[in-house]
Amino acid sequence: MLFRFTGQLSFGQFAVRTLIVVAYAVIFAPVVMIVVTSFFAQEIVSFPPPGLSLKWYANALSKPEFLRGLVTSFQVALLATAIGVPLGTAAALAIVRGEFRGRQALSSFLLAPLAVPGVVAGSGLYMFYVLAEDLLDRDIKATTEGLVAAHTLLAIPWTVRLVVASLQGLDRAAEEAAANLGASPFTVFRRITLPMMRSGIVAAAMFSFIQSFENLDLSMLLVGPGRITLPVAMLNYLEFRIDPTLAAVATVQIMLVGLLMVVTDRFVKLSRVV
Amino acid sequence: MALLVVPACLLVLALLIGPMILMFRISLNQFSPTQLMMQALSPDNYIKAATDPYYQQIILATLGIALLCTLLTLILAFPAAYWLGRMESRWKSLVVIATLFPLLVGNVVRSAGWMALFARDGLLNTVLMKLGVVSAPLEIMYTTKAVIIGIIAVVLPYMILTLSAVIESIPRDLEYAAANLGASGARVFWRVILPLSGPGVAAGSILVFVLCMNTYATAVLLGGPRFKMMAPAVYDQFVRGNNWPMGAALAFMLLAVTMAFTVFGSVAFARKYRAG
Repeated sequence: MLFRFTGQLSFGQFAVRTLIVVAYAVIFAPVVMIVVTSFFAQEIVSFPPPGLSLKWYANALSKPEFLRGLVTSFQVALLATAIGVPLGTAAALAIVRGEFRGRQALSSFLLAPLAVPGVVAGSGLYMFYVLAEDLLDRDIKATTEGLVAAHTLLAIPWTVRLVVASLQGLDRAAEEAAANLGASPFTVFRRITLPMMRSGIVAAAMFSFIQSFENLDLSMLLVGPGRITLPVAMLNYLEFRIDPTLAAVATVQIMLVGLLMVVTDRFVKLSRVV
Repeated sequence: MALLVVPACLLVLALLIGPMILMFRISLNQFSPTQLMMQALSPDNYIKAATDPYYQQIILATLGIALLCTLLTLILAFPAAYWLGRMESRWKSLVVIATLFPLLVGNVVRSAGWMALFARDGLLNTVLMKLGVVSAPLEIMYTTKAVIIGIIAVVLPYMILTLSAVIESIPRDLEYAAANLGASGARVFWRVILPLSGPGVAAGSILVFVLCMNTYATAVLLGGPRFKMMAPAVYDQFVRGNNWPMGAALAFMLLAVTMAFTVFGSVAFARKYRAG
């Protein structure tokens, strides 16, 4: 047994427990650290801090790059989720319920964006956008539309994955019963199928939104003056310094992600989704 | 019904497959400092990436770091994954969510956290000095060590969640049986748990290796401007050099390695399941 919680610890058990503590310490240390740093009174990050303060939150909001970044990221994430989740859900429905050939291949195809590294997909899109701009004579790079289009590539595979999983375990008896009792196909879908897919769709919306909101790799080359997402704005700032103002911005992002997870968990048990 | 997949497929086709084909085509072009690029059909950029010491070193460093990080992550994640996989308390779902949470917070934020920790007067140096472990502050920022720690922190949750899902499915009775027959804890681990979690180890390692290969934010922020890995090198070609053909070739190589491992992983994985 790896764990025996009575009697004396052997060396092996001690080592195993130490590794568990170290693993979780490594996972949480940076997140905890950035939240703590945002409350430091002094601008230069040093220990122990001379005092605590909330002024950096006000300072962060007064910096246009962060405020604009926050707004842009929020817009892009919301739109990409609003477009990607319905499209992904429709595709997932067809893949699980449809009776045509190549459904497995289609599902792999729709999951492909997850397998392509963000920097690679972003480079491809960057060249594609720049060449298309020349051709169409309009801006695509550094526009909300361009960013939203790119981020639907995050929403679609996450939605397909989560909604397919939620549909696969379902019993079709309720749908067949409703149809036998005279419900139209549309009523069956609206009253039976859609509610059964709800947990998958809610989880997909959360993952899509968060994946888009925190995305750096895919977006880096697609931003431009006036249209910078929050992670890119943070990265640019961090290349020069780390200070409590940046920590405050990062803490806002952490709170937002945490809040979304808590809200989602009320609808869907997240631990069962992943 | 089949029509429902069309919009999503068109989007992926237009925004992923199309640009990837375009990228491959551009990687065969030649760089021209005056007119962006010249049409060509030559493997020169790939040959240069494979033979030029500058690119060679980037590729080797990336592979080396990815390999080391994957190994260390596997060792560090296994006990936590076992603990999580065998947990039966009502706290389990909370631990799963807590493991997932840092993953969703984003790499930039987590790298910033490490920057605050590793700073000259940061918490780590202050504690080490107070304890008398070191006499002068350690220079951790902008070293390979910092990047490795940062990457491990990023990929650990993936490894823990993948492994724990597989460990959960190993019947506990097998461990009891082995222990009853006199096997020590270590023996149960080596002879029962580890072999049976093989698929999880393979899947987790491949996933983590690919993620490590593609590290961007962690490498840039914790490694500093002189530290080079593949993803930042690709980005540099577009932003600093404006050298599309070379950038495209490097990106395509990164994609090829990623795909090779992912496909190899899913094939090996499927075979293992069929055999079992």
